[in-house]
Amino acid sequence: MNARIEGTPSFGNIHITLENGETLIAESDAMSSMDTGIDIKTVFNGGFFKCIIRKFLGGESLFVNRFTNSGDKTKSIVIVQPTPGDVREIELKEGQSICMQPGAFIACEDGVKFKLKWAGFASFIGREGLFKIEMEGPGKVWYGSFGALVEREVAGDFIVDSSHLVAYDPELKLKVQLAGGIFSSFFGGEGLVTRVEGNGKLVLQTRSLSGIAEWVNPRLW
Amino acid sequence: MNVELVHRPGNTAAKINLNPGESMTAQAGAMIAMSGDMQIETTTHKKGEGGFLKAMKRLLGGESFFMNHYTPGSNGGHVYVAPTLNGDMQDYDLNGDTLVVQSGSFLAADHNVDIDVGWQGFKNLFSGESLFWLKMSGTGKVVFNAFGNIYPVDIDGEYIVDTGHIVAFQETLNYTVTKVAEGWVSSFMSGEGLICKFSGQGRVWVQSHNPSSFGQSLTPFLKPRRA
Repeated sequence: MNARIEGTPSFGNIHITLENGETLIAESDAMSSMDTGIDIKTVFNGGFFKCIIRKFLGGESLFVNRFTNSGDKTKSIVIVQPTPGDVREIELKEGQSICMQPGAFIACEDGVKFKLKWAGFASFIGREGLFKIEMEGPGKVWYGSFGALVEREVAGDFIVDSSHLVAYDPELKLKVQLAGGIFSSFFGGEGLVTRVEGNGKLVLQTRSLSGIAEWVNPRLW
Repeated sequence: MNVELVHRPGNTAAKINLNPGESMTAQAGAMIAMSGDMQIETTTHKKGEGGFLKAMKRLLGGESFFMNHYTPGSNGGHVYVAPTLNGDMQDYDLNGDTLVVQSGSFLAADHNVDIDVGWQGFKNLFSGESLFWLKMSGTGKVVFNAFGNIYPVDIDGEYIVDTGHIVAFQETLNYTVTKVAEGWVSSFMSGEGLICKFSGQGRVWVQSHNPSSFGQSLTPFLKPRRA
């Protein structure tokens, strides 16, 4: 399975070639266009119960689509996320994993496991969901953001705005805290932030959906 | 009429240069700037013609009821036009052929281009996407816009495009609007809505992003509408 990512950083879209017998797993509604002869099967995203939890507490969709090339010719398919923004590919080795915030996952190779991990009440208070999604290799995973993606190595601790976190190494621990003192947290517009502790990589997005919604909301009537 | 596309692909605008005697038709609300002596005429169809029914059809298709016609002064002039959403644009020279443009992607056309509304049937009701496509025919330039990038696909055989990603296609292609999977239930669960299955030979322009999908992902963050 080969992928060519185009249109980054503003409008990342992924052109994937499927060889005979290969299966791509993609987020609901991610297909933009494709060759005929690719079978599409809608399945629960890793078991019924986990799926329900993920949908209602993890903010992900209930179903994923399995696109399989069962013919003998190479087929192509174009996959995209709903938001305009950057897209990345990561190739996970056997046993290697990455944590993703709700909405970041776009697609992966068959063989990548979806795991659901308890994220804690602090994460829930920070409006990030009670559970977090961990993807485990082997296989390629494509994920994206609203806005551009920024990668950052953390050694020790680092603070990010909760809605701007996209993905992070499982070694990193997240804690929700106030941005500053009581006054600056509530009047400075930052509110709650996430403190990331440990050593590993994290990926941030330069825009957030909740941010644009806050801009749109006062203009609605 | 000559078209320059500027600031591609993120925030594209079209600078449309008009010679004396030429005129151009644009989607209502698309103009961002123009020469001081440009004349605007607003009608329901072609310049100098009525066409109430066509305008009604257009309104149902999610387009504006009125269209604006721009005619420059004796020295010629230019008009800058742009759509609402961020993304790329494409221009196309019609030469007696027909181009089908997704409602919402039409931006501007030469005055000699005939614009009609094609109804795609009830099937499209389920997709929540536009029921109507615009048919452009005649001779002259057409400018259309997209949400995100545009990638052209030259079809020779069969190809599938999600209806929310279609920008425009050549009418030499045959198409059927259909469900993505075998059954209705699985098609609904797949979240893919309806797809357009093209066959034959011709080009389709696909937009990388789907405006409805973006709207849906924003919705949970928006406050309820005031009663």
